[in-house]
Amino acid sequence: MTFNDRIFGILMLVLAVAYGWGATQFPEPFGGAESIGPETFPYLLAVVLGLSSLYLIVRPDPDNAWPWSRTGVELVIAVAVLVLYAALLQPLGFILGTTLAVGTLCWRMGAAPVRAYVTGAASGVVVFLLFNFALDLALPLGVLSFLEVS
Amino acid sequence: METLGFLIDGFGVALAPHNLMFALMGAFLGTLIGALPGLGPANGVAILIPLAFTLGLAPETALIMLTAVYAGAMYGGRISSILLNIPGDEPAMMTCLDGYPMAKQGKAAEALAISAVASFMGSLIATIGLILLAPLLADFALTFGPAEYFALFLLAFATLGGITGKNPMKTVVAACIGLMIATVGIDNTGVQRYTFGVLELYEGVDFIIAIVGLFAISELLFFIEEKAGGGKAQMSVNKLKLTWADIRGILPSSVRGGILGFIAGVLPGAGASLGSFIGYTLEKKVVGKKGYFGEGDPRGVAGPEAGNNGASSGALVPMLTLGVPGSGTTAVLLALLISLNITPGPLMFTQNADIVWGVIAALLIGNFLLLVLNIPLVGIFVKLLSVPPMFLLPIVTMIAFVGIYSISNTTFDLYFMVAFGVAGYVLRKLEIPLVPIILGLLLGPEMEKNLRHALDISDGDWTILWDSGLAIGLWVFAAAGLILPYIVGPILRRRMKVAAGAATAGGPEGD
Repeated sequence: MTFNDRIFGILMLVLAVAYGWGATQFPEPFGGAESIGPETFPYLLAVVLGLSSLYLIVRPDPDNAWPWSRTGVELVIAVAVLVLYAALLQPLGFILGTTLAVGTLCWRMGAAPVRAYVTGAASGVVVFLLFNFALDLALPLGVLSFLEVS
Repeated sequence: METLGFLIDGFGVALAPHNLMFALMGAFLGTLIGALPGLGPANGVAILIPLAFTLGLAPETALIMLTAVYAGAMYGGRISSILLNIPGDEPAMMTCLDGYPMAKQGKAAEALAISAVASFMGSLIATIGLILLAPLLADFALTFGPAEYFALFLLAFATLGGITGKNPMKTVVAACIGLMIATVGIDNTGVQRYTFGVLELYEGVDFIIAIVGLFAISELLFFIEEKAGGGKAQMSVNKLKLTWADIRGILPSSVRGGILGFIAGVLPGAGASLGSFIGYTLEKKVVGKKGYFGEGDPRGVAGPEAGNNGASSGALVPMLTLGVPGSGTTAVLLALLISLNITPGPLMFTQNADIVWGVIAALLIGNFLLLVLNIPLVGIFVKLLSVPPMFLLPIVTMIAFVGIYSISNTTFDLYFMVAFGVAGYVLRKLEIPLVPIILGLLLGPEMEKNLRHALDISDGDWTILWDSGLAIGLWVFAAAGLILPYIVGPILRRRMKVAAGAATAGGPEGD
């Protein structure tokens, strides 16, 4: 099967066209147009990407299998955990966020749940202490901010 | 002997107590990174860059520490090749051939010690080569005009896949993607490009975020997919019985391997994998019938291992003198230079002489430190091999988060990093190489600047780009870099595969 490269090639071709079109929309730089402006380099890139993606469409490599079913779900979970970790880092605080994120990732990768969350909590506390006291760099405490020593 | 004077000054920088301490720390961390499963050298150095910033290190200290990490990772990579027959990265593949049989014969400690000595010899030879060659090349590079630089950047992209690369067109696609990302932001005439009015994009995309996302996060996703969380069985290593005669026996092999590796590292498009491959094949030829290669000949460990380390030091030559890295890890080191506000290239040798020579001296010192660290401490590193990735990778991911968060204290960067990670996973699935993307991100601004400069000089006449003999030469090499893989690539790859035989290919991205 050679769908992957073809689809990717088509996407990149669309990107090249959109990118090239975007370059035509740049406002003229202050001081008038010169022989080479902000759009010259993007034009060049759009042409090269367009041609090479045409090549991919015409001569694709064989596909690598995508992980559907169970493994695919695990991957989606992992990405969701990462996004949530980023979102909750400030409101929840570093230690709690890390416990949940690292713990969940360890668990989903095959560790026993208790050991997974203990690893998460331990790594969170160690890194927090290291950063806040040894390196003098404040990580957010979040809901644990009542523990703050000032 | 101007060079010697600079080198002595360099030692002055590198031997300053805190620099020495960070070099030691870097060497230790680097070996750790090389030994731990799922953490390639490029990946490891990338994660440590933001931390080097948050520590508020001086430029030369940061650079010394990370070059020590780089050198250390090359040492660490061989441990799993020898003990488990699993190459930590691609160049370590050839070390498996004789290293693993030695370990099976109960000579694991000897194999590890021999490879440490050979690595040391390889790096030492290559560092001396670097000292001799780099100033010459830097002087030569001063004659480059903008058109030559533009052609040189093209050459760097074209040869990045290496002559053993699979599909050069995918390198081109990847380079374009990287260069396109680099154009995001306000350009030097004050025009906004592709910012879509998003404030965070005005200053462009921070390449550190992209690098950490592409390497670290995508690695996590790959491990999850392969369900490789289990880790490996505990290994034990016998007591070391190494005599001077053994070391003398492998010295010629190490010297040959080191020289070859250095040459392979300096040349664009050859790279460490080819260095260790040639090192091994040459050893086999030179020793001939007297050897017992493939069945645990120590010279079969020494040759490729010296070649591998020679190549990785050799790869620093184009990175330091021309600002054009030849491998994933040197690209990451270039990222560090740029973010420290040091313009890499020939001028660095005059403007930042203390830093350049400090780093070179640090390489020499780092090698001694590594040799000293590696022989007695190898037991610790061996134990680390059995740390299961299911605990390790989430923690590494967390450290990546902390590093990126600490740069700007915003969560926007974290989302960006995750997005890059997912993109990196998809691209690796499609066999689109990631290193050209990173190189594109790094070199994009310089490349465009040189193009504009050249065309300004010629008043818009594009022929200036191939107007000088030097530029034409660079274009020819660039074209060869794209065309040769179609002709030579399949043959070379087949040979390497046959030679590697049982050794399983595949490992972390980059070398």
